Amino acid sequence: MSQTHTVLVVEDEHNIASFMTTVLTANEFHVLKAKTGAEALALNASYNPDVILLDLGLPDIDGQKVIKSIRESSDVPIIVLTARTHERDKVAALDLGADDYVTKPFGTSELLARIRTALRHAKNRGRKDSALQIGIYRAKGLTINYEKRRAYVDGKDIHLTQTEYNIVSLLSHYAGRVLTYDYIIRNIWGPLVGNDNQILRVNMANIRRKLEKNPAEPEYIFTEMGVGYRMLESD
Amino acid sequence: MKEKLLKLQKKYFPVSLMDTLLTVGIFAVVILICFLLTRWVKNNHLFISILLIAAVFLVARYTKGYLYGIITAGLGTVAVRFVFSDLYRQLTQAGFPLATLSVVALAVLTSTLTIQMRHYTHMRREADREKIRGNLLRAISHDLRTPLTSILGAASAIIENDKVLSRESRLKLLSEVREDAQWLIRMVENLLTVTRIDGERNMKIIKTDEAVEEVVSEAVSKFKKRFPDHRLDVLVPQELLLIPMDAVLIEQVLINLLENAVTHGKGATLISLLVYVQGKNAVFEVADNGAGIPEQVLPYIFDGLYKQRSEAKYEAKNNMGIGLSVCATIIKAHNGYMMAENREGGGALFRFTIPLEVKRKK
Repeated sequence: MSQTHTVLVVEDEHNIASFMTTVLTANEFHVLKAKTGAEALALNASYNPDVILLDLGLPDIDGQKVIKSIRESSDVPIIVLTARTHERDKVAALDLGADDYVTKPFGTSELLARIRTALRHAKNRGRKDSALQIGIYRAKGLTINYEKRRAYVDGKDIHLTQTEYNIVSLLSHYAGRVLTYDYIIRNIWGPLVGNDNQILRVNMANIRRKLEKNPAEPEYIFTEMGVGYRMLESD
Repeated sequence: MKEKLLKLQKKYFPVSLMDTLLTVGIFAVVILICFLLTRWVKNNHLFISILLIAAVFLVARYTKGYLYGIITAGLGTVAVRFVFSDLYRQLTQAGFPLATLSVVALAVLTSTLTIQMRHYTHMRREADREKIRGNLLRAISHDLRTPLTSILGAASAIIENDKVLSRESRLKLLSEVREDAQWLIRMVENLLTVTRIDGERNMKIIKTDEAVEEVVSEAVSKFKKRFPDHRLDVLVPQELLLIPMDAVLIEQVLINLLENAVTHGKGATLISLLVYVQGKNAVFEVADNGAGIPEQVLPYIFDGLYKQRSEAKYEAKNNMGIGLSVCATIIKAHNGYMMAENREGGGALFRFTIPLEVKRKK
């Protein structure tokens, strides 16, 4: 990374904050630490970090409320750290504007990958609508040509239907990030479909059969159980 | 005050459809027999009173509270007064009220006994459950202590011998710390699941239609993250299979079984995960080509670790005990079936089923 990015770590458990700081510093991030929600909001206002790592279980304010307050004034990428096994918290955090989540316990490589993805998306955010509609997505054997609206695996056109292409293209624009079922459904079918996941599930099953060698061992689109889908980061 | 009365009513005079039907049923059968008796047997008075008393006893014994017993006693006396008037005439003037009183007393006494008996059974079941919980806690604490001791030991060794430790031995100690911590996390996840579905009362899990291939693929990718070098063959049906289940729990069953194959299937080089449809069930199979399961362990394999522990010392690090009993609990909560066997060619095979559709049950 050419320029040093600042990461705000919001975590009340000292040991966890400490190991994250060590990893982040070793990977040339500048680290700010906050132990409470109030501290996090103050540090965010005065230092404008590039990424926020936010633990949902804080001693003073509920993590979800912290996300809400931050989103009122800033677009800074927020990655939620959650120990909770309940998917609802993750979905709620994402719906409130968090960019991604990492489930505790997490490996350091996973954490760093999520941060890099979030930084890259933040950089692209300004030109999302115009620039990303043209160009090409490439990861392993998968190529998506946005101009031709076609997807290829190992050079072969996989003949996606209109809807299938829209889903794949949406996921690829946010490659590396998890998109919730609701978000995908609203973007593809509009707000009137409601939150019936079935229609999305069936489409995903078809996409998987066209895209993946073995639907049970996907290489490109991964399921995040109870939350949504995540596409492989582009090369 | 009103609430208190209502509570008392609920405790001692509960009304339910089941009990009402039972009462009506028993009474109708007895009256029917009485009628048949009056037709064919002469001097039937004794039979009739004995049968009516039996009806009161049965109702008081098998319904909840006092209400139904007393009602039956009342119905019995009414029947004697107006239907079987031969019997009524036989009784002296003092005899009928006395008979009525004794029948009501019989109803009340039997109901009291029944209530006491229920209370006693309930207490004993609670005590049993407490005991199981205690055993489980003891076993778990023991299991947690082993890896914690080794983590503490390794960390202290690194800190205290900073200058003399070679890089290799430091890394070796650290990777052992990581391994133990991973084991602890899985153990805790399993325990959390147990508390989520523990006990017959809260066996309720929330089932939604999930795509089998998605559940399988997530389990497989988590497994591969932990054991990147292990060979795993996965096969799911060609058509999309949506099955009602708690996906997080089923994923955990799959991960437990896959990791189990690695940690306990000694010498396993190939693990396979197969899903297919058979009749009204989806069948999941996890097989390995390792050493298989020792015959003496096979009957207890899903019983949880407290039983296993008293058997031959099976394995020092016994996540298998808890892990597999958690699997069995989860599958049971899905109305499925789980079994383990040794394959003919060698290696262990675990198979479980999940019904394709939820049984509509009230």
